[in-house]
Amino acid sequence: MYFRIIRNDISKSKLITLTTMIFVAAAAMLVSLAVILVVNLSGAIDTLMTRAETPHFMQMHSGEMDTDRLTEFAEQNSNVDEFQVLEFLNMDGARIILGDNSLADNVQDNGFSFQSEKFDYLLDLDGNIINVSDGELYVPINYMRDNTTKVGDKAVISGKEFTVAGFLRDSQMNSTLSSSKRFLVSRNDYAEIKNLGSMEYLIEFRLKDLSALGAFETAYASAGLEANGPTITYPLFKTINAISDGMMIGVILLVSVLVVAIAFMCIRFTLLAKIEDDYREIGVMKAIGLRVSDIKKIYLAKYAAIAAAGCILGFALSFVFKGMLLENIRLYMGESDNSSFAVAFGIIGILLVFLAIIAYVSGVLRRFRKISAAEAIRFGTSQEKTAGANRFSLSGNRLFGTNIFLGIKDVLARKRLYATMLAVLVISAFIMIVPQNLYNTISSKSFINYMGIGNYDMRIDIQQTDNISEQAAEILKTMKSDSAISQYAVLTTKTFKAKTADGSEENIKIELGDHSIFPIEYSQGRAPAAEDEIALSALNADELSKKVGEVIPLVIQGKEKNLTVSGIYSDITNGGKTAKAVFTDNSANIMWFVICAELSDPSLVDEKTSEYGDRFVFAKVSDIDKFVAQTFGSTISSVKKASNAAIAVALMITVLVTLLFMKMLVAKDRYSIAVMKAFGFTNSDITAQYVSRSVFVLIVGIVLGTLLANTLGEMLAGAVISTFGASTFHFAVNPLSAYLLSPLMMIGSVLIATMIGTSGAGQIKIPEHIKE
Amino acid sequence: MKKIIIGDHIVKSFGEGDEKRNVLDGVSVEINEGEFVAVMGPSGSGKSTLMFALSGTDDVNSGKIVFDSKDLSALGENELADIRRTKMGFVFQQPTMLKNLNILDNIILPSMRGNRKNAAKITEKARALMKRTGIAELEKRNITQVSGGQLQRAGICRALMSNPKVIFGDEPTGALNSKSAQEIMDIFSEINAEGTAVMLVTHDAKIAARTERIMFMRDGKIVGEMRLQKFSGTDIDDRMEIVTAKMREKGI
Repeated sequence: MYFRIIRNDISKSKLITLTTMIFVAAAAMLVSLAVILVVNLSGAIDTLMTRAETPHFMQMHSGEMDTDRLTEFAEQNSNVDEFQVLEFLNMDGARIILGDNSLADNVQDNGFSFQSEKFDYLLDLDGNIINVSDGELYVPINYMRDNTTKVGDKAVISGKEFTVAGFLRDSQMNSTLSSSKRFLVSRNDYAEIKNLGSMEYLIEFRLKDLSALGAFETAYASAGLEANGPTITYPLFKTINAISDGMMIGVILLVSVLVVAIAFMCIRFTLLAKIEDDYREIGVMKAIGLRVSDIKKIYLAKYAAIAAAGCILGFALSFVFKGMLLENIRLYMGESDNSSFAVAFGIIGILLVFLAIIAYVSGVLRRFRKISAAEAIRFGTSQEKTAGANRFSLSGNRLFGTNIFLGIKDVLARKRLYATMLAVLVISAFIMIVPQNLYNTISSKSFINYMGIGNYDMRIDIQQTDNISEQAAEILKTMKSDSAISQYAVLTTKTFKAKTADGSEENIKIELGDHSIFPIEYSQGRAPAAEDEIALSALNADELSKKVGEVIPLVIQGKEKNLTVSGIYSDITNGGKTAKAVFTDNSANIMWFVICAELSDPSLVDEKTSEYGDRFVFAKVSDIDKFVAQTFGSTISSVKKASNAAIAVALMITVLVTLLFMKMLVAKDRYSIAVMKAFGFTNSDITAQYVSRSVFVLIVGIVLGTLLANTLGEMLAGAVISTFGASTFHFAVNPLSAYLLSPLMMIGSVLIATMIGTSGAGQIKIPEHIKE
Repeated sequence: MKKIIIGDHIVKSFGEGDEKRNVLDGVSVEINEGEFVAVMGPSGSGKSTLMFALSGTDDVNSGKIVFDSKDLSALGENELADIRRTKMGFVFQQPTMLKNLNILDNIILPSMRGNRKNAAKITEKARALMKRTGIAELEKRNITQVSGGQLQRAGICRALMSNPKVIFGDEPTGALNSKSAQEIMDIFSEINAEGTAVMLVTHDAKIAARTERIMFMRDGKIVGEMRLQKFSGTDIDDRMEIVTAKMREKGI
């Protein structure tokens, strides 16, 4: 019997059934994809890191090396399994030419290594340890991805010729978020180019017991060993490898939640209309003694069928798109060992979608209990509550035309019905505005202030040379006499030791200099101004668990000095762990200088950048816009793409839902339409009434959606942004596009959908609905 | 006497092919200005269809309908709607009212279309009509909060709002008890006495007996017609007897 009822019912409402099924399929597909991606990503990362034998602890260091002392430390520490020091030869991008492309404009720290002997291997694209012959060059995978070069190309490194023999996966530096990239050459070739760059050391440890990593870190720091550079641990490598694909998975999950919500809306208004239609029958069934659960089953059966069909279709579709989305993971990390589980987990995800739908339908059907059999049989319709709408009467109306009045009145009288459409429109406005605002925010000039970068035009980095201070002084002398430079600031980064709460010592990099010239945004507090003040990046404040006003003991020139935290800021540079202070210090090793300059005429930036770049070959001179573009250019462009896609999706949802909703309303209101036509209302009057209804709901929806976008949406976007290391976050809104263009597009779509959706009203024959 | 409605050889059919059936099979009628007419017949005889056709509410397959000197077949949807709103009034068996609106708003609804400026005047007129039909105190009520008879009075008020030339009533007393039905008929008589033509579709001899002319329909054709004197208010039983005799004669 159920089969017959389902078949009849579906053939009567093909369009809405199909739409619901498509949404269920889309939701199931996305959930399944997200699950498959999660399983594959974690598996692929594990496989990559296991095969490459990624170090558990790595200290980058530039400057003097005492290998004996390190070896002694490694031998004495019982947790050390293996230890090695690798060389990483930093080379200016301009000296690296791959095929026809030079890496001069590249902001990555490109460097050369030879294959390690013990662990931390560089792998080829089949996951095997690469054996390099003389004259061969293996290039980091991301240069294959962005088509910089291809296998067989000629490469010229500081004048020496190589052949690109292949691409390599680097379990440490694969991610675009990692600022360094390792190229692989043979030992002999390495020896030849060794003097052409600056040397950096990778001090690496594999531990016997990874869970004791924290204790090992403390031991390393308190032993006072080489630490002039960032420290990275195994879990952080894992996170860096996971982050970009992880974000994609996050977005897919978010979208799937939205799609499920829309599927729920479709189900809700189909069901409500259906219950309305069947009101009398439901009353009769109750009257003749059927249980509510029996009646529910009839309705549930249909949705179980739709949901099952949708879920199966979605699962099948996820297999079609799986390959496309896995491509990036496969390229960067290789195959996953546990991809067979992925399908099983995908099925579990889809089952969850199915159960959620059944639970939702069952929830909507709860209202059967409230249907009074007697009332249903007598009136044949639910006695809708019109509370609140009664005061709004036609005789008292002087404000609106009669059609507009009737439209608004209907919405007010049947709030529950329109709530469904409102919810969809709120969601649409939300998904239209949030990505747009996000894009606007991160592409706006002031956003970099949130990211720990001041508002300057040109940035000069000087790193790891013996006479670094003299070089900086030379640049400053030139700048002083350069009339094109209106302002500049020198920031010197040095490493100090900070005492943590448990008494152990931890390395902290502090940027010293005048931070008032190019101020950044502080999420709490302000820039350091006095000698005994320090500002911490959000990540550092978190790690040291310090708040504004608290005190950090620093060891400076062997003496302990207490600094007060004056402010906390967001930072994406240098792994997000930085600090700023103004005290003068002549002691510790200078790690690097950053010289920031503002030009009196910003349009000269290209010219000045190349002028300083040519003149001071030891420094890396970058145009700040380029610096920003290369650091998050790809993020900005993908957010832009996502934002455009979101607009398209939102408009599609708006059109589709409005269309279906209006078709349903017309079907439901056949009688009222016939009455109005009989009493002299024209088809255009009827259309005007329906347009008023949808525009009224739309306006409320846009207002609510915009409010939500600027509150909840800002919070959500803030959460996304905080993964880059930024902590406070406010939308920079483009009012023209967010408050004018987007609403206009929505109004346009709703108008078109309403016109099409209500065109059926013109075909309604008066006698068929009024005749006794 | 000027003819307000002329229907000439009206054919209206339903169904296709073998199942095609003429509900109106070449019907010709004329109704004068200010006339009080009833159409009688068994169910399925085509009497309601005739009313919908004559009022331009339903299209016909062939034949010509002239209302107030205008050929309805030459008019578009909008012009037909305008005529219905300004020159015709309708009262149906079921109270065809909008659930969302109160009684007063339902009454003024058609007159308010594109006429917001005159809202005060329109409301005033509606109140006067409600007073006249005895439902003055119900204006703020919802349509579910009043009786069927009261709703039908409200329906008549709505039909009278535009000072129509003709009021069409399709079994207007069909859902009422006989006391309410007679009260409603009193109102129709009063309206007719003021010069408005009234065309009622009914199968109730007692209702038809209060009109001046009765047309009898069967199988889509007019099979007979009879004229009566103006109803005085007292001779209803005698009139009913004449009507029922005629009905028997026509096999209705």
